Amino acid sequence: METKDITCPHCEKGFKSPDEMKAHMLADHRNDEVPPPEGHIRLTVNGKAYALDVQPNWTLYQLVHDHLGLTGAKQFCDRGACGSCTVIMDGKPVLSCMILAIECDGTTIETVEGVAAAGHPLIDAYVKHHAMQCGYCTPGFVTTSKALLDDNPRPTAHEVKIALSGNLCRCGTYPQHTIAVLEVSQKLTAS
Amino acid sequence: MKNFEHFNARSIDEAATLLGRYGGNAAVIAGGTDLLGKMKDRILPAYPEALINIKTVPGLDAIAETDDGLSIGALATLAGISAHPVILEKYTALAQAAGRTASPQLRNMGTIAGNLCQDIRCWYYRAAQNRFSCLRKGGGRCYALKGDNRFHSIFGGSVKGGCVAVHPSDTAPALIALGGTVITSRRAVKASDFFKVSVNRTTVLEADEIVTAVHLPAPAPGTRSAFMKFALRQSIDFPIVNCAAAITCEGDAVTRARICLNAVSVVPRRAAAAEQLMAGRNIDETAADAAGAAAVADAEPLDGNAWMVPIARTLVKRTLLACGPDPAEDESS
Repeated sequence: METKDITCPHCEKGFKSPDEMKAHMLADHRNDEVPPPEGHIRLTVNGKAYALDVQPNWTLYQLVHDHLGLTGAKQFCDRGACGSCTVIMDGKPVLSCMILAIECDGTTIETVEGVAAAGHPLIDAYVKHHAMQCGYCTPGFVTTSKALLDDNPRPTAHEVKIALSGNLCRCGTYPQHTIAVLEVSQKLTAS
Repeated sequence: MKNFEHFNARSIDEAATLLGRYGGNAAVIAGGTDLLGKMKDRILPAYPEALINIKTVPGLDAIAETDDGLSIGALATLAGISAHPVILEKYTALAQAAGRTASPQLRNMGTIAGNLCQDIRCWYYRAAQNRFSCLRKGGGRCYALKGDNRFHSIFGGSVKGGCVAVHPSDTAPALIALGGTVITSRRAVKASDFFKVSVNRTTVLEADEIVTAVHLPAPAPGTRSAFMKFALRQSIDFPIVNCAAAITCEGDAVTRARICLNAVSVVPRRAAAAEQLMAGRNIDETAADAAGAAAVADAEPLDGNAWMVPIARTLVKRTLLACGPDPAEDESS
């Protein structure tokens, strides 16, 4: 494999020395917009566009919770083993504690605040069926359920259980989640 | 987490160059679900100076049928693999293995290459702040040998004969049973030769080598494959034992069997004795039971993990029956 010391930030070309690179930039990219530096990301959170400078060691959870102030997602295990920090990234439920914020450039994120602001019936169903006790895991369950219903509007009880199998509830409210999600599914598909 | 340099690689070449430049003090990040946990807990003596993101390399997540089989890009997610119609139909064991790994959220994040290259889960190795300087970190002893080894190897150790940490991957045995090949930035390695234990290493990868794809050969006519996993929980758990088998039959008789166990040894373990035993026989209760016994005949459990032996034996049997004409239900956990 050819070793390339410097890669052009505009295209894929590699160069041996800064001088070669400079000549290439002047010849081919004189009028191109300067690419943003590493650490500058653009992303959409709950429908709002953000352009942010982030540190490499920030997780998506830190960005959303600590820096954007969306405190719905909760940090519990911080190792990807409990589901409390689940957010929806590009339509899929993911664990925000195990994703680097710097790698979220161009993504669309939805948190439980977004689900609530959109008036999603899941929120009322969770309250109605009291699918919580202490409530710490609830935002993770709600976002995971929302992603499930977006992807599969008529899930079976088994599919709901599989979809929610990455979320832990230490109060043991699991049966209520299935009841709430299935009721919302019927409501949404009936209308 | 302590801070580090971060690079978005635009090509595998660029990522390999960057890895080479840091001389082993950088790590590749794809899904990140294993790596970030290691960094948050500071389990290793050396903290990576840089992370090289390969999610920005275009096209690395493609799953495509080729002339002689199937090519799965390194960044294909476990969720994508478990739901892919071609993999479900022709490479069933891999779809089942990917679908039983971790949790739904982690399967949306984790990649096939990351699942193969993940690090061991031994609790001494994983203890926070590098508390135990064990053989796998270049230290002097294996703490599991005299300590709590209930989830460790039942087939002996590695690294000076000491380290008894098992390989935790679910997809690795499926890949080996299906005769897969791991494609890296430098070479193609048979999946069965890909895993090799040394200090800080679970695979044969060099410090600046990156997995780019996995290739599966088209299954011979009459081939069925299956994967089973025994874990303490149905979800968000690593295997106690898992097993994948790919069986080719002519009529009712087995012409070729490939059976691979994992989480029972320091690397995924082909059950060669069981494979030989199945050749020429029908897949039935008696043959499968005998194959299960053969697979664990040379087991050497430690003080605390003899309980894993009958589980491995039964899992081989059930996986074989699942490859038969009347597949059994998965009751493995």
